[in-house]
Amino acid sequence: MKNIIIVLFVLFTFLACEKEITIDVPPGKLQYVVEASINNRFPLLNYVFISTTIDYFKPDLSLNGVKNAEVYITPGVIVGNDTFYNEANRIKLYGVDTLAKLVPALDSILGPFSGVYMNPFELTGAVNTPYKLDILLNNGATAITAKTFIPRTVNIDSVLYRIEPKQGKDTVGKAYTKFWFVDGPERNNYRLAVNTSPDSILFGWGACKFYRTFDDEFVNNGNRPYEFVRPFNEGDTLNLYLSHIGRKEFLFWQSFGKADNNGGPFATPGSVSSNIKGAIGSFTGYSVDFKQVILK
Amino acid sequence: MLYKTALLFLLAFTTNFVFAQTKFTLSGELRDSSNGETLIGAVVKIMETNKAISTNTYGYFALTLPAGNYTVQITYLGFQTKIIKVNLEKDSKLNVKLASRSISGKEVVIKGEREDKNIRSTEMSTVELTGEKVKQLPVIFGESDILKAITLLPGIKSGGEGGTGFYVRGGGPDQNLILMDEAVVYNPSHLFGFLSVFNTDAVKNLEVIKGGMPANYGGRLSSILNVTMREGNNQKYEFNGGVGLLASRFSAEGPIKKGKSSFLIAARRTYIDVLAQPFLPKSAQGNAYYFYDINFKMNWQLGTKDKLYFSGYFGRDILDFISPTNNNVNLNFGWGNATATLRWNHVFKPKLFSNTSIIYNRYDLFNDFKFGVNGFSVRSGLNDWNLKSDFTWFAADKHLVKFGFNYIFHSFTPGIATGSVGTIKIDEEISKQYAHEVAVYAQDEWQITQRWSVNAGLRAVAFNRVGPYTQEIFNEDNQKTGESIKYGVNESMAFYPRLEPRLNVNYLINEESSIKASYTKTYQFVHLATTSGAQFPVDLWVPSSAKVKPQEANQVALGYFRNFINNRYEASAEAYYKVMDNQIEFKPFSQLFFNANLENEMVFGQGKAYGLELFLKKKVGRLNGWIGYTWSRAYRQFDQLNYGEAYFFRYDRTHDMSLVLSYTFNKKWTGTFVFVYGTGNAVTLPNSRYPYRIGYDPQTNEPKFTFIDVYDKINSYRLPAYHRADISFVYTHKKTKSWESNWNFSIYNIYNRANPYFIYFLPDIDKLEVKAYMVYLFPILPSVAWNFKF
Repeated sequence: MKNIIIVLFVLFTFLACEKEITIDVPPGKLQYVVEASINNRFPLLNYVFISTTIDYFKPDLSLNGVKNAEVYITPGVIVGNDTFYNEANRIKLYGVDTLAKLVPALDSILGPFSGVYMNPFELTGAVNTPYKLDILLNNGATAITAKTFIPRTVNIDSVLYRIEPKQGKDTVGKAYTKFWFVDGPERNNYRLAVNTSPDSILFGWGACKFYRTFDDEFVNNGNRPYEFVRPFNEGDTLNLYLSHIGRKEFLFWQSFGKADNNGGPFATPGSVSSNIKGAIGSFTGYSVDFKQVILK
Repeated sequence: MLYKTALLFLLAFTTNFVFAQTKFTLSGELRDSSNGETLIGAVVKIMETNKAISTNTYGYFALTLPAGNYTVQITYLGFQTKIIKVNLEKDSKLNVKLASRSISGKEVVIKGEREDKNIRSTEMSTVELTGEKVKQLPVIFGESDILKAITLLPGIKSGGEGGTGFYVRGGGPDQNLILMDEAVVYNPSHLFGFLSVFNTDAVKNLEVIKGGMPANYGGRLSSILNVTMREGNNQKYEFNGGVGLLASRFSAEGPIKKGKSSFLIAARRTYIDVLAQPFLPKSAQGNAYYFYDINFKMNWQLGTKDKLYFSGYFGRDILDFISPTNNNVNLNFGWGNATATLRWNHVFKPKLFSNTSIIYNRYDLFNDFKFGVNGFSVRSGLNDWNLKSDFTWFAADKHLVKFGFNYIFHSFTPGIATGSVGTIKIDEEISKQYAHEVAVYAQDEWQITQRWSVNAGLRAVAFNRVGPYTQEIFNEDNQKTGESIKYGVNESMAFYPRLEPRLNVNYLINEESSIKASYTKTYQFVHLATTSGAQFPVDLWVPSSAKVKPQEANQVALGYFRNFINNRYEASAEAYYKVMDNQIEFKPFSQLFFNANLENEMVFGQGKAYGLELFLKKKVGRLNGWIGYTWSRAYRQFDQLNYGEAYFFRYDRTHDMSLVLSYTFNKKWTGTFVFVYGTGNAVTLPNSRYPYRIGYDPQTNEPKFTFIDVYDKINSYRLPAYHRADISFVYTHKKTKSWESNWNFSIYNIYNRANPYFIYFLPDIDKLEVKAYMVYLFPILPSVAWNFKF
C-alpha cells in the first residue's frame, strides 16, 4: 500500500528530476552469504551458493562465489519434540567445477555459477523431513550451519485463464490468470515463483520472473484463489511453483522482498533477517507443487 | 518529593493572596472595530503604575487596582493605540474596539503582534504568526500554508522538500501537539504531506510553543502548535475566495446578530482530478485524486458574562485507482480528520474568567480493494472525546493564576478487515484500544519585583489504558498461539500517574532587554507507529501499554531577549538542552498495517537534543521580516539498533537558517523574499551488497540474480545541504466599496537548486558498478493565485 502511495505521489508532482551523484561510503566488513535450497521435487533446485559481501561501489557485478568449501546436507528424524541428525546419512555437495567434469552436459548451465555446490544424484528432499546444512571454509577454520524443514505439500487445485483478444498496438492477446489451492486449517506460509519459459526451471530459483511470499493469517482454511494482477501474454507457457515453507524461512523471504524493493524512498533501510549461523542468508526447505499451463 | 514541591508551591501563592488588600477590577474585551474579531495578546497598560497585561485567547483582560483615576493605554501592533481615562471606584467594564492603522508610508506594520511582550513576559521559546502574514509568503502551486510557514521560524525544521511535516528541537513529528480550536489534529496533511489541513482563510492566529511549555498544555514532548480559527465578521457579510493552481477556496462570514454573534464557513477543494482527466491515457481513465475540507465557526454573545463558540473541521483525501494493466483491480483509498469544538466562555467575576470545552476529534482511514472475485475493506483510525475547563484568575496585583482540568477518552481502531477471497470470508478485527487521560494543572504568573517575574506551574496527569481488550498471545515466530488474555470493560491494563513541573523565570535587565530561563517536563501517552521519514496516512497511532511506556522529556532553556529602537526590532538568543526517554523506533521492515502484535516490532531507547537559536526581527516599516539561525544536534540511542551506539536523528540539522524579507513598494505592490539553508538530512546508506536468488536464464544463457544491500551504521551519511530562495509579489487592486482582490505571483526555488529528496542506487552493467542517483522534486517553479473578497 505504502509503495502505491509513494509511486502515485511522485507521479502527481510530474516534476521529479534526478541526477547522478558521487558518494563516498567507507567499505563494510566482509561477511559470508549463503543461499541454500532443498525441495521435494526438482534435484537441480537443491543447491548451496556461497559468496561474500562486496564493497558497495566496487566495480564488480559478478556472483563472487566462494570455492573450495566443504558442504554437507544431513536429513534428520523427528522423534517427539526432538530432532536427530545422523552423521552417517550426511550427503556431500560438490562444487560446479567438479560436477561439470562428472556430467559435461551440466557445464553449459552451471559453468558460470562458481561458488554453487550440488549433488543432484544423491540429494532429493522429502516432505515432513528436517535438514541440516554444514559448511566448512578456510580448511575448516570457518563453520557455517543452518537447519530447515520441508513441510507437507499444498497442491495447486486448478488454473483458470481468460484470453482477451489483442487490441490496438498489442501484438498478442492478454491472458488474465488465476489459480486455486486448498489452504488447510493450520498456519501456512507460502512462496510462489512463476516463470513463462517453455522449460521449467533449469537451475536456481532466480530463473523465475515473479515471486510472492505470503501467509494465511487473514485468509485461512479454504479453497483459496490467487489472481495475477498483470496479465500474461497469450501463448505463454506458465510455470507455477507453489511452495509451502517454514515460518523462519517465510520471515527471511518476506524481509528479502522488502529489501529487494528497499521499502520505498522514505523507509528506514535495514538488512534482511537470516536463519544461518555464521553467515547472512537462508536455508529454505520448499515443499513444491508445480503446474505448467500453455495460455492459448 | 514532587508532591511536596507541589504543595509548597500552592501554599506559597495562596498565602500571598490572603494578605492582599481589597481593590477594584477593571476588565473587558478588545476587538477589531472593522469585523468584531477579538484581539489576542493586545496590551492594556496603566500609565500611572506601568502595570500591563495582555488579553487572552478570547480577547479578555482584567486588572486589579486601588480606587483612583487612571490613564489606560491600549496597544496592538497594526492598530491605532487608544488612551482612555478611567475613574475606578468600583469593578468596571472596559470593552474597546481598536481601528486598524492605515497602511501608508512608514506606517507599514505587521498586524497582530505585541510590542514588547517578548521582553516582559515569562513566555519563551514561543513564536507566533498570523494567517494574514502567512498569505504574504511565497507559495508553491499557489497555495499558502501555515505549516510550511512555521518552518521558517528558528528551532522548527521542515521535514523535506515541499512537505508540511515539522520537527521541533530534535523531536519527532508525532511529538508536536497540533490543535485547531483546541481539537487535536492527528494527521495534519493533505496530498501526502504537500499541503496542510489548515485553510489560511479560516486561520486567525497560530502559536508554536517549543519549550517553556505552560502547565495548561500537555500530551506531547516537543511542541504545541495552537491554531485559532477566525470567528467571522460580526458587523457585515463578507465573502472571500482564491483560485490557485491546485485548489480553490471560498469562505463566507457575517453576523448572525450584528455585533453579538457571527459565523464563518470556509471550504476548499483540489481539482487535479478534473484537470488531469483529459490528459490521462485510456488505460488510466478513472484514476483520480482529490481532497476537500470545510471549516466552520459560530459564536454567540449570551448576555454580558457568557459567550458560546461552536467550530469544526471536516476534510478528506480520496484516491481512486484502477490498474492500467487490469481494470478488474480497483482501489478506493481515503483518509481524513473531523473535529468539533463547543466552547463556553463565562466570566464568574471580573477577576475569574473560564472557558469550558467539549471537543471531539477523529482520524480515520479506509481502504477498499476489489480484484476479480476478491474484495476486502480495511478500516482504521482513532477518536477522542475531550472535556476541558480552563480558569484564568486575575488574582491580585502581581499574580495571574491559571488552573483547570482536562479529561480525554481515547478510542483506537487499529484495523477492521471484511470481505472475501474466493470462497473464504474475511472478518478480522484487531481488538480496539481504549484509554482515559486525565490532567489537572495550576500555574501562577507572579511579578515578584519590577525586574523578576516567574511562571511556576504543575500539571498532574494520569493515563489509564483500559479494556475491553483481547490481548492475543504470539509465539517467537510472531504467529498467534490461539491463546489470549481478555480485559473487561474499564479494567485497567496499564496505569501511569505522572507529574509535570513547569518553570519560567524572567529577569528584566532594562526596558529593552531581559534574560529568561525555563524548565519543562512533559509526558506523551500516544505514539505514532511509522517506519518512514515522511508521515503517511497509513501510519497508526498507538496508546501506551504495559510494554510501551510513556515517552518522557526534560528540557531546559536559557535566553537573552533584546528589543531595539522603540521595539521596532526584536532579537533573541536561546540555548536549549533536551533529553527524552522511552523513545520508540520500529525494527527494519516492520509490518505496521493491520498487525495485531505491533508492540513486538517496537524497540525503545533515548533521545538527546541541544542547540542555540538566534533570531532578529524587524517588525515595522516598509521593509520588515526576520532572520533566524539555529545550530543544533539531535541524537537517538537504542540498545537494539546501531550496535547500541548513539546515532544522529534523521532530522538532525547542524545549521538551519531562514531569512524572510517583505517590502511594501506602494499601496498596490508588496514583495516577499525567502531564503532557507539547512544541513543535509542524516541518512543510512548501504556499504556493501551481495548477489542472491541466483538462477540460470535460458534465454540469455547467463546467470540471473539480484543484489541485496547491507547497511551498517544508522544515519551516518549526510545528504547534500538544502537551500533555496523564493520570491513573491502581491498585487492588490484598488479597493472599491464592495470588492477587493489581489494576485500572488510566486517563484519557488528561483535559482533552480537541485535539493535532495532522496537518493537511490542502480547497477551500471556496462561499467560493472553501482551508481548513486539523487532525486529532486521541485525545480524553479512559478505559480499564481488570485484572492478576492466582497
